[in-house]
Amino acid sequence: MSTAAAPLSDLGRAADERGEVTAVEHLGGGLMELAVRLPHIAAAARPGEFAQLRCGPPPLPLLRRPFSVAWVEGDICGFVFEPVGEGTRRLAALHPGDELPALGPLGVGFTVPAGGRVLCVAGGLGCAPFPLAARRAREAGCAEVLVLHGAATAARLYPAGRFSRGDAGIRVVEATDDGSRGHRGYVTELVATELAGVAAVWACGPNPMLGALAAVLGDAGAALPPVVEVSLEAPMGCGFGTCLGCALPVRDGGGRFALCCREGPVMAVAAVDWEALALLPPAHVA
Amino acid sequence: MTVDLSVDLGRGLVLPNPVGVASGTFGYGFEFEELVDIQRLGAIWTKGTTLLPRAGNPPPRVAETTGGMLNSIGLHNPGVEHVATVYAPRFARWRVPVVVNVAAGSLEEYVAVVRRLDGVPGVAGIELNISCPNIAHGLDFGRDPAAAARVVEATRAVTGLCLVVKLSPNVTGIGDVARAVCAAGADAVSLVNTYVGMKIHLGVRRPVLPRAGTGGLSGPAIKPLALAAVAAVRAAVRVPVVGIGGIASAADALEFFVAGADAVQVGTASFADCGAALTVLDGCAEYAARHRLERLTELRWTPPADRAEPSAAPTSVR
Ligand SMILES: Cc1cc2nc3c(=O)[nH]c(=O)nc-3n(C[C@H](O)[C@H](O)[C@H](O)COP(=O)(O)O)c2cc1C
Ligand code: FES
Repeated sequence: MSTAAAPLSDLGRAADERGEVTAVEHLGGGLMELAVRLPHIAAAARPGEFAQLRCGPPPLPLLRRPFSVAWVEGDICGFVFEPVGEGTRRLAALHPGDELPALGPLGVGFTVPAGGRVLCVAGGLGCAPFPLAARRAREAGCAEVLVLHGAATAARLYPAGRFSRGDAGIRVVEATDDGSRGHRGYVTELVATELAGVAAVWACGPNPMLGALAAVLGDAGAALPPVVEVSLEAPMGCGFGTCLGCALPVRDGGGRFALCCREGPVMAVAAVDWEALALLPPAHVA
Repeated sequence: MTVDLSVDLGRGLVLPNPVGVASGTFGYGFEFEELVDIQRLGAIWTKGTTLLPRAGNPPPRVAETTGGMLNSIGLHNPGVEHVATVYAPRFARWRVPVVVNVAAGSLEEYVAVVRRLDGVPGVAGIELNISCPNIAHGLDFGRDPAAAARVVEATRAVTGLCLVVKLSPNVTGIGDVARAVCAAGADAVSLVNTYVGMKIHLGVRRPVLPRAGTGGLSGPAIKPLALAAVAAVRAAVRVPVVGIGGIASAADALEFFVAGADAVQVGTASFADCGAALTVLDGCAEYAARHRLERLTELRWTPPADRAEPSAAPTSVR
């Protein structure tokens, strides 16, 4: 809505495309990756932006589902997901050649610095935006991108090589809750020691993980990098600002809610009302 | 033969065609303006607008159900002053008529909002929402025919604009409410608003939506209920009826014309397909041409009279 304080996503860059599935891959641990020919979105997508995928002909499921554009190769877009609900189970059943209508790119993405180091913090499926984001950061002149990636178990980690795609300037450090690979514990525990000389911190994951990250960064105090951004999630009805369903509590006073689909999904860490967000039920409940 | 698709809702509000977009599913038109040709629509029925800006309900606000969705937005809107001064001048430059949906928590608030919109260029009419299930008191006016009539009388007194009253289906006798608002001066009625519903998350053993756990159900799941409500209202009043509820295709819309509608609104379907209303419009026009209809209201079905005499052999026909 135009009463919003933050800059809104540019809907003029979004378009409807038919989409054609070119590959469906199981990555193990329940993670899957979909490659879809979407020339407009592939050309227009910036890091952290998303597309609304029509997972099946309505009414089942009725609404499109938002997915981060994970990577782009030519006119193909990659999407990472886990078949857990009505929509994602239908995505998992797709075959190369199937049609997959999409609207995008949507939302506001990450701010790409012109140089320096970038720290990406990826919790679970929050890995999704970072193959594209890391590549764009490198193309913009960033000397190094460090991806800190955590998941419950080793099997549920997004394969490290898919973040870097052969670029030695993109490094991946892993963490697992059960210690089956990398650091044992939460990925947010690795952040504090990596902040020196960082131009931007980008994070994506479940809202509680992002809240934990905000707390870690709060403790870091004066040493905060110039850009600290988080990609949030909210149940969405439309993805382009009309249903007002994707409200997120923000700090800029008056009890205002921001729309995740237009002021987000990427927001400055300082803009989010983390206390209010922590009181909400997890997004997956809806 | 060209089909005349225009619909006269009264008091100068003539829709160029019968297919509009429903309140709360199209914002104030600006987002969709960037995505589809909104000028071809029969009307844009705006988001529910209140006297003061409202932040809306805490999240989560939407949840998908089988063939439907629940919402509990809580009338998140910028307030009537913003609509009148910032949005309406933009509406005035559009060809598509914009009907502002008005919501309120009290009689005085309804009157104040409608008075503010009266005579504002760009505002083609008022849709009086006496049926929002997601705010305290939202349904009170819509449930009681006498209370509904008071709101219509009071707002009728402060505007010359076409007054379309949006009815709630969450009532025992929707025909009684329709009769009451028409007697009080409504030019037309629109229905249905959403049905009160609930989705439960078994994993956490509680409703998905916050607070009381309820929200408004919309989408294909409600279409049969909405058709029955439209037929009941058609039988009760003579004013134009705007049919709403689960319309996603031209066939859906045509069913509403059979049930008694003069115009329709496409709601939830626009979320999954930005051009849904335009597809519905094109399909209706094509159907009318193919079946050589002069007006879509020719599709209307007339129910048998309530206490029909046992059918006797037609004596007049020999
Ligand atoms: C997200 C959402 C918000 C809505 N907001 C309003 C509103 O502000 N005022 C109103 O009168 N109806 C509102 N409605 C109800 C719709 O206008 C419509 O009556 C209802 O959704 C049934 O039509 P559908 O099944 O085609 O969506 C809303 C519906 C949805 C889904
Ligand atoms: S998802 Fe509809 S407004 Fe954001």
